[in-house]
Amino acid sequence: MKRRICIILVFVLLLTALAGCSNNKGKTTGGSAAPTSGGDNSTNEPITLKWSVWDINSTTYYQPLIDTYEAAHENVKIEMVDLGSADYMTVLATELTGNDSDIDIATIKDIPGYATLVEKNALEPLNSYIKTAGIDVSVYGGITNQIIINDRLYALPFRSDFWVLFYNKEIFDAAGVDYPTNDMTFEQYDELARKVTNTTLGAQGYGAHYHTWRSAVQLFGILDGKNSIVGGNYDFLKPYYELVLKQQEDQVVQDYATLKTSSLHYSGAFAQGNVAMMNMGTWFIPTLIEKIDSGEYTDISKWGLAKYPHAEGVEPGSTLATITSLAVTTASKHKEAAFDFLEFITSSEGAKVIASTGTIPAIKTEAVIESISSMEGFPEDEGSAEALQTANTYLEMPVHVNSSEIETILNTAHDNIMSGNATIEEGIEYMNTEVGKLLQ
Amino acid sequence: MENKNKESKIRQLTDKQKTELAELEATLIGLIDCVQTISVSKEKEKVLSNIAKTQKKIKHIKLGGILSKETKRNLVAYSFIAPNFIGFMVFTLGPIMFAFLLSFMKWDGNNAMDFVGINNFLRLTDDVRFKAAFVNTVVYSLATVPLTLLFALGLAIILNQKVKFRNVFRTASFFPYVASLVAVAAVWNMLFSPANGPVNMLLANLGVAVKNLPKWAADKHFAMLTVILFSVWKSMGYYMVIYLAGLQGISAEMYEAASLDGANSWQKFKSITWPMLQPTTFFVVVILTINCFKVYDQIYMITQGGPGTSTLVLVYHIYDTAFKSWDLGYASAISVVLFLLVLIVTLVQFKGEKKYANS
Repeated sequence: MKRRICIILVFVLLLTALAGCSNNKGKTTGGSAAPTSGGDNSTNEPITLKWSVWDINSTTYYQPLIDTYEAAHENVKIEMVDLGSADYMTVLATELTGNDSDIDIATIKDIPGYATLVEKNALEPLNSYIKTAGIDVSVYGGITNQIIINDRLYALPFRSDFWVLFYNKEIFDAAGVDYPTNDMTFEQYDELARKVTNTTLGAQGYGAHYHTWRSAVQLFGILDGKNSIVGGNYDFLKPYYELVLKQQEDQVVQDYATLKTSSLHYSGAFAQGNVAMMNMGTWFIPTLIEKIDSGEYTDISKWGLAKYPHAEGVEPGSTLATITSLAVTTASKHKEAAFDFLEFITSSEGAKVIASTGTIPAIKTEAVIESISSMEGFPEDEGSAEALQTANTYLEMPVHVNSSEIETILNTAHDNIMSGNATIEEGIEYMNTEVGKLLQ
Repeated sequence: MENKNKESKIRQLTDKQKTELAELEATLIGLIDCVQTISVSKEKEKVLSNIAKTQKKIKHIKLGGILSKETKRNLVAYSFIAPNFIGFMVFTLGPIMFAFLLSFMKWDGNNAMDFVGINNFLRLTDDVRFKAAFVNTVVYSLATVPLTLLFALGLAIILNQKVKFRNVFRTASFFPYVASLVAVAAVWNMLFSPANGPVNMLLANLGVAVKNLPKWAADKHFAMLTVILFSVWKSMGYYMVIYLAGLQGISAEMYEAASLDGANSWQKFKSITWPMLQPTTFFVVVILTINCFKVYDQIYMITQGGPGTSTLVLVYHIYDTAFKSWDLGYASAISVVLFLLVLIVTLVQFKGEKKYANS
């Protein structure tokens, strides 16, 4: 008797669990349906939209965007949900699993995460919405083409950051060396870094700095436009690892192992005032301006920007891009209203609001670039303003079915090579074999 | 009063029920007569159970209730264990069984599941990250369990004696266990920083060449050691308390008797303390081993599984596979392997229980 009750209970529970997990089979396939007419934002019923973001307190453009939108749409209230920055995409994916989340608009932080969410059917295809709203995606300069999956677009970009070279003018002035130019080859860059390095104990100055991210070193390799980071053959990374490891050995840059174990943030490294050049994304510009202005960074006051160094024979201004985009979740109960808000942020109107805070929006018109370079606190020299012009931009991680698995493999290899636990050859061999297995 | 109730219930019976009752009573009498004549035990049992059933039916019609007294009593008993049992089912047993099922599926959490048979388990043989994680987990456990045991027991023995500031020392050794893992891991990383950490400075002052200084958490030969040392330091206080309790349960008379016989400290430890502590040691080893196989947080805070895969452990790999790659089926397959690993270790230990814990 007892045993029978137990067994029955177990099965009932299991069945309900299974049913709960697979009840969205039908729901997800309907994702591509055209938006129903008579969108819910046209009525005056009050709607609250939930927008997933990270770092509410240190991001300056969320509130102005919301304020502007809410002023024009009295019935809509936007509520931000901060999922934290460290594991943002993982947390978001967990939130959206099961299609019963209450998040309407999801901010997409990186491409592997985007591909995962699309694979999981957690995002609404936007093609029909875009068509209905008559949005011209050519204003994004081709970025949207790079995030199309199965002929469908699931997100629209609102920020498009790219990598530049930040430099500390004081160090160059003190060493009597010319500032980095917008047209440097990797050799010239290496030479310059060595010139401004100071290895005297106690007064150490580093010529360059690479943050512990894989992108900071590995992606030098894709800037010639010939190689792909998801291609399966990584032999092309060899010269760049050699360059960086030699710099590390000669104490031109800080030791990767030390940076990793001390979890030193790149902003902290640059703010200490002993790093001459640092490659980093343009998202660092507003932080730098703000913290120097507020007096938090006391060891650095004059800085500049230069274009990324380039390989021999490649047009200067080729760089890596990271896009931050917005998507409507399939779980949303107010898809129309959510898209309306998304449309506002990703429009040229939203771009203006974003640019006014020093952040680079996805719609990068001349006016936008100028509004950033004329901001108070932005370096006044011409070179820095010009550094914001890009020639070719390559996504840090292109859309790929296996992008998150590839990412894990590449990170492991990068960590091994940079900490000296594997030779460059061993690391590349590991990437070739392991990614090769995935691509089969 | 009760009789009256019964009476009234019988009076309310319909004619149909009355005839049924009469019929049943007749069968009952027949059965009772029958049972006295049967000698084959199997047949007898059958008839006896038939009698019981008929009696139940009669009772049911007479009393009119849906549930018999016994069932009612059982239900009350079940309702007492229900809160705990339901919680256990929903949050432990259900997910465990679900994970077993999942290990034969391909699933990303949203789309429909696909049955893939034992493919997930076949994939394990070709997964270098899994192999590394498996070896690392075993190495970690093999090193951490005896080391923690040794330090916890040593501390307990020292702090069980009448030393000055005994309570201060006891508190100090227990402190790492209650301190926030995130905070102490950050401090640990600072202490073991390759370039300017106090540990390496000490080593340099002791004459180790700067070139040969270990890079600790960033060195593939030392990363695991760094994590193990951290784990031992963090958890030894807890097991020390358990050992202290064990030590205080040993009668002082035994030591007195041993002293009279001229035993030295080592002899006393070997012949009294260690044997008397065996139940405690058994408990500590079981709990510690299971905890070691589950290690995740220390690794996440100190090395993130790096450099390369040198500190990647099974739980970390499961997390990556499940929530970074959303390969829930494969992650479940790895969990099943981890489950079997812990199961085997625990079974072996429980075999030892008969030998040690009750001696």
